Amino acid sequence: MKLKVNQNDEWHWLIGGIVVSFLSITSYVLFEKLDYKDYPFGITAGIAYIAANVKFLFPSLAENPVVQKNLTSPAAFVEFIMLFGIVIGAYWGAKHSKNYSPEVIPSVWVKYHGSNVWKRFTVVLAGGFCLGLGTMLAVGCTTGNILQGWAHLSLGSMVAGACFFLAGIFVAKLLYPKLGGR
Amino acid sequence: MLLQAFIGLVIGLIFGYALQRTGITKYPRVTGMLLLKDFKILKFMLTAVTFSMIGFYTLGSLGIIELNPKPLDWGKVVGGLIFGAGMGLLGYCPGTMIARIGEAKKDAWIGLLGMVLGVLFFAVNVKFFKTNLMTKNIPGNLPTILGINTWLAIPIAALVFSGIVLLASRVDDFKKNF
Repeated sequence: MKLKVNQNDEWHWLIGGIVVSFLSITSYVLFEKLDYKDYPFGITAGIAYIAANVKFLFPSLAENPVVQKNLTSPAAFVEFIMLFGIVIGAYWGAKHSKNYSPEVIPSVWVKYHGSNVWKRFTVVLAGGFCLGLGTMLAVGCTTGNILQGWAHLSLGSMVAGACFFLAGIFVAKLLYPKLGGR
Repeated sequence: MLLQAFIGLVIGLIFGYALQRTGITKYPRVTGMLLLKDFKILKFMLTAVTFSMIGFYTLGSLGIIELNPKPLDWGKVVGGLIFGAGMGLLGYCPGTMIARIGEAKKDAWIGLLGMVLGVLFFAVNVKFFKTNLMTKNIPGNLPTILGINTWLAIPIAALVFSGIVLLASRVDDFKKNF
């Protein structure tokens, strides 16, 4: 069994990498000049902003320092807006390259774990939970810790990034033992 | 705030477009990288890191920006491992998850819900996490910690990153022939 990726019309990794490094530097410079000291190029704070805004469901969270911080931080709001940009950008890219194909479960998953939606959703919910907790503990996701942190040669981000891959490789091998062999 | 939000929107737009067009958002690709079968994401990522590193350090030494390296604490290790496990389960990271919402991959919405719950779990237990994992830290970037001149460290790091990219390319090409 092979992992098949449709490569039609894909950008070369070098082009993608250069475009993203340009974005990373541009946003850093712009936001520093605009006096936004949290340098919002990332996903985490945007999602924390959403989390902070569902506080009405959990009245006990109203005084929570994390919720307060993300509700009042302008950088969190900017990252929240950035999320919309990413959604629209990805939609535009998929349409533009005629790769737009809605799906509920990835086809590789269906081949190995069946088409039971609830099974996939349970795993995704657990995975999402881990991403949320992990990203708050490590102060940044792949964008913040690798794209930005590695580019700063931050010791903390280097370690965090290495841990992302170590645990990710371990879990992926557990999920797809037949694909991971050789 | 409006200007910043507009810049954020435009940057997100190009970021999402680039991620999608480079094929980084594809489920088999993220899982393929973690199974050490497909290194396109690694090559893309390290290219971005290398160019940004040169950019950041150049602008930093010109005094145009101030570098902001993240310190090392136990949160980075524990959080990193939890995050990695999540990435393995989902088959995407937060950025690609958001992009996949745009690509109408419905399970990404459940991933987002899970992430919001994870953030709230952190918020509820923030005292515990902060006191146990996030108090003591080692600040700074590698050149400073190792006591190497920055402009010696940057070319070395660039060479190491490019070396990994070249090696990954060789492995990918090698596999294509089979």
